[in-house]
Amino acid sequence: MLGKGGKRKFDEHEDGLEGKVVSPTDGPSKVSYTLQRQTIFNISLMKLYNHRPLTEPSLQKTVLINNMLRRIQEELKQEGSLRPMFVAASQPADPLSDNFREAQPAFSHLASPPLLPADFVSTMPLESCLTPASLLEDDTFCTSPAVQHDGPTKPPPPALQPVKDSFSSALDEIEELCPAPTSAEAVAAESAADDSKAQPGESNIHKPEGLPESRTAESKLMDPLPGNFEITASTGFLTDLTLDDILFADIDTSMYDFDPCTSATGAASKMAPVSADELLKTLAPYSSQPVTPNQPFKMDLTELDHIMEVLVGS
Amino acid sequence: APGRPGLVTGMDACGSQAAVTYIVFVFSLPADIISTVEFNHTGELLATGDKGGRVVIFQREQESKNQPHRRGEYNVYSTFQSHEPEFDYLKSLEIEEKINKIRWLPQQNAAYFLLSTNDKTVKLWKVSERDKRPEGYNLKDEDGRLRDPSMITVLRVPVLRPMDLMVEATPRRVFANAHTYHINSISVNSDYETYMSADDLRINLWNFEITNQSFNIVDIKPANMEELTEVITAAEFHPHHCNTFVYSSSKGTIRLCDMRTAALCDRHAKFFEEPEDPSNRSFFSEIISSISDVKFSHSGRYIMTRDYLTVKVWDLNMENRPIETYQVHDYLRSKLCSLYENDCIFDKFECVWNGSDSVIMTGSYNNFFRMFDRNTKRDVTLEASRENSKPRAILKPRKVCVGGKRRKDEISVDSLDFSKKILHTAWHPSENIIAVAATNNLYIFQDKVN
Repeated sequence: MLGKGGKRKFDEHEDGLEGKVVSPTDGPSKVSYTLQRQTIFNISLMKLYNHRPLTEPSLQKTVLINNMLRRIQEELKQEGSLRPMFVAASQPADPLSDNFREAQPAFSHLASPPLLPADFVSTMPLESCLTPASLLEDDTFCTSPAVQHDGPTKPPPPALQPVKDSFSSALDEIEELCPAPTSAEAVAAESAADDSKAQPGESNIHKPEGLPESRTAESKLMDPLPGNFEITASTGFLTDLTLDDILFADIDTSMYDFDPCTSATGAASKMAPVSADELLKTLAPYSSQPVTPNQPFKMDLTELDHIMEVLVGS
Repeated sequence: APGRPGLVTGMDACGSQAAVTYIVFVFSLPADIISTVEFNHTGELLATGDKGGRVVIFQREQESKNQPHRRGEYNVYSTFQSHEPEFDYLKSLEIEEKINKIRWLPQQNAAYFLLSTNDKTVKLWKVSERDKRPEGYNLKDEDGRLRDPSMITVLRVPVLRPMDLMVEATPRRVFANAHTYHINSISVNSDYETYMSADDLRINLWNFEITNQSFNIVDIKPANMEELTEVITAAEFHPHHCNTFVYSSSKGTIRLCDMRTAALCDRHAKFFEEPEDPSNRSFFSEIISSISDVKFSHSGRYIMTRDYLTVKVWDLNMENRPIETYQVHDYLRSKLCSLYENDCIFDKFECVWNGSDSVIMTGSYNNFFRMFDRNTKRDVTLEASRENSKPRAILKPRKVCVGGKRRKDEISVDSLDFSKKILHTAWHPSENIIAVAATNNLYIFQDKVN
């Protein structure tokens, strides 16, 4: 707690660390501003990744910390500092961060359009009845309003037409390995993504990444679950980082050997025990971004390759 | 003149801060941290919820000729376990039993009804008194044991006999499985037939009679969760217009919605946001702008919002800025980085109106709480602590020293205890009685009437 003597020098002496922002263009203050920014960045990362609560972490807190990290990252990108931590490595990251840039201005716009894809808002008839909250957990809300007729009765989940492209076939493969509801959600997100003009790639890339993260999965309450949906926004941030430092060296990976039997209810007929390695192999061709929870494995694999080369080649 | 009893509203005209006299009651709830405090609509009852899922209801003593000095004291009326901890097997996470909010229904018969909620489930509780019990059953004796039928020779009619007053709480409705995210607010509609529950991303509308279905009226969940940058932080129905409600966000905005315009109120009718002050911009601007509480005035003409450093009053007819801004503890502005590090910056302070909407109150650190008189623009800092809380004590205003020479009785910013935070307070609907929750202690301050 604060109070008994300033343990942190910066609190007492560094004007730049607390309170007001010193413009980064000021000559001598630039250093303290950078220091301040770096400190806050480190603190934010620690908050997101060192926290292992027994209960679900506060979404508000996670979102605020995530926004902080993104803001700092944006600043750094604009300043052109290409430290490895912040390299937007190759093309997949850039569209992603473009997405962020798109998303944020869109949201902060004062007229505040709803976050739902614009097309779906317009297709929602004004006279449609209230959406029963039970339907929300389908995560197929993009199609459910069209299906509704009368309020009190719960309409059946609409059948979705999978768009046949390389991504959906990849997702189908994943579906073979993973609980069925995940694919329903991923396909729904895909249709949503297609219709909303967002690059169809991103949301699908990240849905599979969310699979092993059982701890932060979104639970479907009544109908077949959407599966282990990564709700911590931090995942998106992680994919921007090339993880070559100590941050994830000590991740306890036992958590990620997830047992699909504990996740879905009912309809999941294609459940099969899947190991993180299998998942990784499936995902690898479709994403040049490392999958977060499997990062340690990927590091091991590349290290292994490296070692093999050394042993066999040269 | 100093020393005149009365609340902030009665401060003397010459401007010096009067010492105010209060009768103080302190209740210590064993073991658990109070997480919500709420008076009912008459002020006769005061409910508290705690981290352990319990609800304790206090009742005000009626005026009695035998003990006139005890008029107006609050005593424990009922205690019950509202929520139990649960385990979410899908996420391998515990669901806390902590009571996030309690809201009373207006009284319509002899029983009292309240809504209590934890992160996931809302429950409607009926609190009723029993002061008679039937005696003289034929088939069972007074202990409830069955009698041997062959021993019964006489038939009698059971009669109701007086008994010691017993207060029972029974769960009448359980509204579950409608929230994926954590419920932060519940609000009873002025139609008394419906209420809403709000979580981080959605707001649902319930009918009190129907527990297996609720309707979604606000949904800000993005199609791609990675685009999520804003959450709902609080929501409340308008006190008189049953079609109108407001919700606040983590970006410091308030949206007023009209349920008549559309089933899904994602398009707001009004949008309240104050432009950022560029001279105060910092890394923490967004976080400290996050609104932790929103409350309609009793009149329904204003809304009050609490963010980390200020309380703001908004006129419903003016969306571009608040009409009043009160600094709660601006001396913390230079400490934001430390407060971010120790998570205090995420503390959710609540705020309340007094019955006439002339005074507003909110909590701070070091067991301090603040009151602002909207008319006189006077404000006062008081402390909820054992040392100050002898009955009929004169509560001395406190002051935080922000730099320079510290006067006697002032506290320096660095000496503040940030573990002693007052997040929850309540104000009697018509009288100058306030309830302040300080960790596991409940303080009830009452204006002394000579």
